[in-house]
Amino acid sequence: MSSEVAAEFPGLRADWIDCACVDHRCDRGVGERLALLASRLNGRQALELRQQHVPAAYRSFLRQVGIDPDQQPTPIEQAVLGRLLSGGNLPQDRISDGLLLALLETSVPVVAFDAALTSPPIEIRGAADNELVAGVGVEQGTLILTDSRQPLCQLFASPQPPLAAGAKSDRLLLVAIIVPDVSAIVGDEALTIAAAAISGG
Amino acid sequence: MAALLIDQSASSEMLPSFALEPCEGAARRTLRTQIAQLDRLLSAASCEAFPDRLDLPALAAREPRIQSLGELELLRDGLIGSLREARDALAARELERAAARELLEQMLLDPAKHRRVRISQRELGVGGCGVWSVMPRLGPMGRLMGWWRVKLSSGCPLAT
Repeated sequence: MSSEVAAEFPGLRADWIDCACVDHRCDRGVGERLALLASRLNGRQALELRQQHVPAAYRSFLRQVGIDPDQQPTPIEQAVLGRLLSGGNLPQDRISDGLLLALLETSVPVVAFDAALTSPPIEIRGAADNELVAGVGVEQGTLILTDSRQPLCQLFASPQPPLAAGAKSDRLLLVAIIVPDVSAIVGDEALTIAAAAISGG
Repeated sequence: MAALLIDQSASSEMLPSFALEPCEGAARRTLRTQIAQLDRLLSAASCEAFPDRLDLPALAAREPRIQSLGELELLRDGLIGSLREARDALAARELERAAARELLEQMLLDPAKHRRVRISQRELGVGGCGVWSVMPRLGPMGRLMGWWRVKLSSGCPLAT
């Protein structure tokens, strides 16, 4: 964590874990857990989610970094909205399903990078002037995820190829973004759930 | 006796930077706390408004970054405005519901004076999609004879 970001947001951090992904096909067990989570949801619950501790912490954090969470919803609210619009948590592939499961279970967003192209430690810092993130220039001070060599992606944005984990990635680096007021144990739980779902453990 | 001389003409630029930074840090912390509290109150108001939707002013899409003190103050002030609008909207809705409940009471007391009036459960702030309406008993015969009654429709099981 850069000192400026750490001073502004004590408790904001990126935790990571390495995991294998041998088979990229959807896992039946994960699909069943996603279906179970989808079946328990209605509109009122989706709205009231924002009052729960962890989702509320992500909403507050988005506000504090200048994003309106009603316009750009938090990852958990986006996932729940997707469930309401599509009628279910439709299986896509093992990586996406594992990340979605971790998000729905804990409300902590986890992103996956190709471990071969990234080198921990992962940190959060403000972008430098004219810095390129995934090939796109971002404004100075934009909060980004970086590893020890390069910027990876904008905070809360989806990783882009080639750094994003894809069908050819056999080892992944899972990164959980934990905001202030969220316990470290919740972040660990999110990473463990995602790693177990992806590696089939 | 010791005397302290204060130069009133000294500007803040003359003060050492270490004296200002902790103050700004504290101000930023306070503003962030206020923003978090206001967001929680706004979330509670949105949940209270369900199934209606609160139309609140939105910020333009931006990238996440550390906000300046001025930006944090603007954010805080914007949220205070949004919260005031949300509370006004909820209060106005409560008044409408109270008026609807009063009308329903009058309909029940004297159906003949409220012929063909309809009030939905939603207008009353009650769950479901039933509708209270004043209808003639026995169709045309009741209409001719003035036999009016209040009926609650059972609503629709698959309301859109």
